[in-house]
Amino acid sequence: MKKQRLSKILARCTRETVHTLADEIRAEHDIVIVKAPEKSLAMIKMREPVKETLFYLGEVIICEAIVSLDGVKGMAALMGDDFDKVLDMAVIDAACSRGVFREEAFLTELEKAQEERRQKENAMFMNTMVNFKSMDSEVQG
Amino acid sequence: MAYVAVSGGEEAIEASIRLLEYYRSGTEKDLELEVIEEKMSLLVDKVMSEAGLYSKRYAALALKQCEGSVEEAVFLLRAYRSTLKRSYDTRVADTGNMRIVRRISAAFKDIQGGQILGATYDYTHRLMHFELEHEDAEKLHERMEELIQEQEPAPEEFCGRVSDELKKEGLIDSYPVNEEKPFDITENFLEFPTVRSARLQTLTRADSGFISGLAYSVLRGFGQVHPTVGELRSGYVELEIPYLQDPEESLWIGEVFLSEVEVFNEADEKDKLKLACGYGAVFGRNENKAIAMAVIDRELDAGGDYPTQDEEFVLMHGDSLEMNGFISHLKLPHYVTFQSKLDAVRKTRRGKNDGQI
Repeated sequence: MKKQRLSKILARCTRETVHTLADEIRAEHDIVIVKAPEKSLAMIKMREPVKETLFYLGEVIICEAIVSLDGVKGMAALMGDDFDKVLDMAVIDAACSRGVFREEAFLTELEKAQEERRQKENAMFMNTMVNFKSMDSEVQG
Repeated sequence: MAYVAVSGGEEAIEASIRLLEYYRSGTEKDLELEVIEEKMSLLVDKVMSEAGLYSKRYAALALKQCEGSVEEAVFLLRAYRSTLKRSYDTRVADTGNMRIVRRISAAFKDIQGGQILGATYDYTHRLMHFELEHEDAEKLHERMEELIQEQEPAPEEFCGRVSDELKKEGLIDSYPVNEEKPFDITENFLEFPTVRSARLQTLTRADSGFISGLAYSVLRGFGQVHPTVGELRSGYVELEIPYLQDPEESLWIGEVFLSEVEVFNEADEKDKLKLACGYGAVFGRNENKAIAMAVIDRELDAGGDYPTQDEEFVLMHGDSLEMNGFISHLKLPHYVTFQSKLDAVRKTRRGKNDGQI
């Protein structure tokens, strides 16, 4: 699983779910904390469509952690300051990189549920789509 | 005019700071951060936008700490962010892939993807809802949750921009993709004339009132008068950072809510065959600020004699922290400088009375 997809699923999970998954890995592997969770900033880089230039929109607070599982590093970063969750995510990332993570099917199910929730939310917003009827037959556009 | 330091008043200052708590002690009820985040979200958005820092929880905390003062909350967030190191620039965030919750055009009624009103106060009757004095918050939450669950899932579709079509027709100029590293106003002083990236970064975190007032002056005749909102879109934009062990991979770190606007004007008075665009993008559900930003962006591009077309005037006077800091300093002791002014006035009056002037 690509890191982008893995981190997205985990970031959207509850911290309890992530913790349960990480604890299963901890029970079977030695985990060393390489970089303890800490806060820092990420600057948002954007492209504007008028002249296609890049600019900085502003910063977000993130927390990040790096661990090592049987010598293989795992990394996680997340908006906010949930140190426990980001550390658990780093453990899961390391397990994936080491090839010992066995819950991919479960993650895929979670992803499906997350997607359905988003699509239901989206449906609420799509209900506000305007259906115009021009009052003047000569006005077309 | 020289400044002279004075000392004294330390105990009074400490007592004054302690007394601030008095103003938060009028009730035994606590104001939970979650409540501020979820029920005062437009205020939280405004603070995040003016602080240039997207963190709902910390914005809510700052607002709680300073009794809801926007400028104090902005000050607190800016001060806090200065204690943190910056570890990453995100991958280039793409509003073309925005998870849209509102999208309208005042230029065309039929736009690709449709006009989506989303949640807006635009069409509400401005009548007080007195029943909210005793609202059942739990029931409201449940009702909305049920509403979501009743929906038939609708896959998200990313919408092209209204301006894309006009670019294809040559009615709006197209530009090649520019990869130049942006100027960062948090690390460098502005110099004039400045670059577009510095302008946009300054405008996006400008004080909402200042920038709205400037845009209003344009509409009243102190500028190019009446731009058209070609597109206003708001929704969620995903953020990613590089994955350190493999730069080809990315980590998804979350999403931010943005309001983004493109306004259309005639390119200039001579060339009425083309349109020109102004751009605005801000944190949160903050669309009037995004519109105002786009209006001012276009004014600055056009140039001219109005204040809104003067880069230094616009960019140097709209920062919440700087403007409120400077105005606020006027109430701090100026005993020596004022005495000097007073002496000068008295001397002049004496001279006048003696018939010297």
